[in-house]
Amino acid sequence: MKTKISLAVLFLLVAVVPISLAQDEPVTITFWHTYNEVSAENQTLVDTLIPMFEAEHPNINVESVPYPYDGFRQALLTSAAGGEGPDLVRLDIIWSPEFAAQGILMNLSEQMPDFQQYADAVFPGPLSTNAYEGAYYGLPLDTNTRVFIYNPAVMPTPPETIDELAAMCESLPEGSFVFSDGGTSGWNLLPWIWSFGGDVTDAEITTATGYVNGEQSVAAIQFLADMLQSGCFSDGFIGSGIDTWGGYFGGTISSMLEGPWLYPTAESQYPDFEIGAALMPAGEGGHISVVGGENVVVSAGTENPEEALEFLRFTQSEAYQLAMSGVGQLTVLNSLLENEYFTNHPYYGVFLEQLQTARARTPHPAYNDIETVLGDAAQLVLRGEMPAQEAMDLAAEEIDALLAGS
Amino acid sequence: MSINSVPQQRSTARTIPQRRATHLTKPYYRPYIPYLFILPGLALYLLWSVYPLAYQLHISFYDWRIIPGQTSEYVGLANYQAVFADRTFWLAMQNTALYAIVTVAGQMIIGLTLAILVNRVAVAKRFFRTVYYLPVVTSWVVVSFLFVYLFSPGEAGLINFVLTKLGMINEPISWLANSNTAWIAIYSLGIWKGMGWAMVIFLAALQGIPPELYEAAAIDGATEIQRIRFMTLPLIRRTIFFVLIALMIGGFQVFISVLLITGGGPLHRTEVALTYMFDEAFGDLNFGYGAALSYVLALVIVVVSLVQSRLFGRGDQDVEY
Amino acid sequence: MIATSGSQQRILNIVIFLVLCAGVFIAVAPLLYMASTALGGVAYVQTYPPRLIPETINFENFEQAFASRNFLRAALNSGYIAVSTAVLVTALASTMAYGFARFEFRGKKIIFGALLIMIMIPGVVLLIPQFILAKNLGLLNSLPGIILVYSAGPLAFNTFLLRGFFENLPREIEESAIIDGASAFTVFWRIMLPLAAPAISTVAVFSFLGAWDEYLLALNFLTDESLRTLPIAIANFRGQHASNWGLVFAGSLTAVIPTILLFVVFQRYFIQGITSGGVRG
Repeated sequence: MKTKISLAVLFLLVAVVPISLAQDEPVTITFWHTYNEVSAENQTLVDTLIPMFEAEHPNINVESVPYPYDGFRQALLTSAAGGEGPDLVRLDIIWSPEFAAQGILMNLSEQMPDFQQYADAVFPGPLSTNAYEGAYYGLPLDTNTRVFIYNPAVMPTPPETIDELAAMCESLPEGSFVFSDGGTSGWNLLPWIWSFGGDVTDAEITTATGYVNGEQSVAAIQFLADMLQSGCFSDGFIGSGIDTWGGYFGGTISSMLEGPWLYPTAESQYPDFEIGAALMPAGEGGHISVVGGENVVVSAGTENPEEALEFLRFTQSEAYQLAMSGVGQLTVLNSLLENEYFTNHPYYGVFLEQLQTARARTPHPAYNDIETVLGDAAQLVLRGEMPAQEAMDLAAEEIDALLAGS
Repeated sequence: MSINSVPQQRSTARTIPQRRATHLTKPYYRPYIPYLFILPGLALYLLWSVYPLAYQLHISFYDWRIIPGQTSEYVGLANYQAVFADRTFWLAMQNTALYAIVTVAGQMIIGLTLAILVNRVAVAKRFFRTVYYLPVVTSWVVVSFLFVYLFSPGEAGLINFVLTKLGMINEPISWLANSNTAWIAIYSLGIWKGMGWAMVIFLAALQGIPPELYEAAAIDGATEIQRIRFMTLPLIRRTIFFVLIALMIGGFQVFISVLLITGGGPLHRTEVALTYMFDEAFGDLNFGYGAALSYVLALVIVVVSLVQSRLFGRGDQDVEY
Repeated sequence: MIATSGSQQRILNIVIFLVLCAGVFIAVAPLLYMASTALGGVAYVQTYPPRLIPETINFENFEQAFASRNFLRAALNSGYIAVSTAVLVTALASTMAYGFARFEFRGKKIIFGALLIMIMIPGVVLLIPQFILAKNLGLLNSLPGIILVYSAGPLAFNTFLLRGFFENLPREIEESAIIDGASAFTVFWRIMLPLAAPAISTVAVFSFLGAWDEYLLALNFLTDESLRTLPIAIANFRGQHASNWGLVFAGSLTAVIPTILLFVVFQRYFIQGITSGGVRG
């Protein structure tokens, strides 16, 4: 009996001492993201938002760790392998299902008691990118989409439809292009496939056959191939490089699809350039663009779940969302849409309108591979190395295998 | 030292003291002394190189799950079987070999030519040597970004601009859009960055050739070209072999430049062995497969190096690699 | 063409000189272009025509780079890591090389053979196992930890290089010192190291460069922002959607200039060292 009591006392000591220590010494949580080191986003986060949070929570220190976008996915995986991951991550929405499937992310719908309240406050589209097998593994942090950016000096009125865009090829000056994009990632191809009325898979993401190789999807790829062939669209689609913006500001490329980050960067190098913005030209499927953005997630292995969740709640506050919107990170909160900051904003309007119909890239753990298959198939077509139908049939087979594999 | 160490002078002088020394020094140290010299370095090497290599071999027999708490399934040789059936891997190996051949040839030819010219020029020898060596000491990360910028598409890219002005191309090329032209950018970086190293080593070997030999040849009426062909090259044969092996090993390890310039694209057509391995391991999380790939690659490098030693090193007893 | 006459000789010299100057242009033009972009202001988009000398010099990009909280810190970290790595590699490789060059002992052939094989194995291959090992030893997010890993990588090649150098040194001085009663370490420290100074400086400079330049391990091992190194800081200047190349190159130039200075200052020794190792074969 005596030993039992002393054991219990010992237990109490062991349990209580660390808590009392924790109250004295602030807990440090780490937040990994890909804001460019010198960007306004990073400055806002580090100089304004984190101090604001720390003032409200004196027991929590937040350490912000920027990563280069290119090495980020890999650094996250290595750190997870070593069990040395960050507490919170700003994660590209296309990686959420994959990281959730890997077991790296905390299941918020289970472990965050007030999750539903936050889930109800955000746009449903961006929220859906956090779902994996019926549970949610994060909350949206910011959102964006690509709209049709044109140069009013050479294209006085933007095309309403894809046909109108194609018709502009007739009056194209020598050595210039009506449209350009860099590469064949889903980010670049999907607005065309969707606007043509096609898709990659069915709505339940069980099969690609009949969708990615369906009539409309194939027509979209064929359309791009024809435009490249005739020299109306630039070969940036099969390239990699930094020239779409160069051509646009240099006057040789009349239009492109781009996100809201175009404006602040253009401001610094081309302050006098007039940028035109409109919805993605419509096809049979409508004016459909692609949703981008990031989620905020908590590591499954975090040692400070309460503190991490507290910061996650802070990212969903109006103060946080407004501050980040001021530096190009579009908000995800329904409640802010009527805020005069947005109603009076010089260029967010068209992005918010485009977001009404924009769609998310296939939310599936194998998205990374699906995108490679789709992009490679499109490359073959755009290079004239394979007929569109044949390439998309092969892609459908491969994507079906990827969908079945998980 | 630079002159003393040139092989043709040294080779005879060297073997004699070496033999003598082996039994001369022997009685003067206690048996544990050599280990005191070897062990600190060896310990570090065993811990951070040999052990990880062995661990990597272990990984290659599994469908390796990297997240702690998940179980990895033992798959025996399945990863290796998959490697041999993987067409992208063999394309990557072929690309790696081509990269090694093209850049090694380029570095050696340009390096040797520059060395002969610098050795021959009357003024500013040291200046030329220094400047040609500058690219060697620059950072791979930095110059890879730089070459992306140099070879950027459109008329404002420096390479496009220069070639257009020279009339060599009619319109700007999208260098990185097609594998053929992307290789030009990757090869150029490899050659540009390495030619100075080859030059410096060739130059030292040339400077070790006694001038009397040249004078004798000049009196015999040999032309400049004949002298290079029949005198200089045979005399520096072993230096040429050393440079060849060293550059070949480096060529097969090409990685960071391809990763940062094309990332293996478009369509895996500029994939090299290591970028493909990296992509499999960190892009697709196939760590077991990536480990098997790296073992096959290492095997190929070792075999190629040994074959080269056999082919080119015949008769040179003291060549050891 | 019999032995060339004086005037032919002079013309030939001029031609050679001009060809070499053209070569100099190729060697430095890319670096000049980088410097010009860094000094030319904001450059999200390349300007036409490209310039090797900027129209107006402006230090905006450098100011921005150094104003970022971590750049200077990263430069200092890189300096510390690179110098420590150079010292450690030099110390370990030279003692090992001396051991292989001058002593007979059990297992010598096998150990040396194992070292040679490792020269051919690319370091990237070991990333994951090294990472797991560092984690188990508590060496992640630790500058001493990454210095150990950086030092292990080039050890094999540098041991090999220095062994060749030591073997070529004459034995007489060493032997007379041994007869006079000097210990093996006195001989190594007092006689061999000074004689090997050129090769040692080559090893030091190349190990410095390797650690200064390293990207992948640094990205994965040092996740604490205050421990970041230069290559990562430079990569962080690239944006997800668009990069200000002027800024990227301002950071790059800051990383490249110390290595160039280091090379120019030590080049006398350094070139002797490379070439003596180089011609060993």
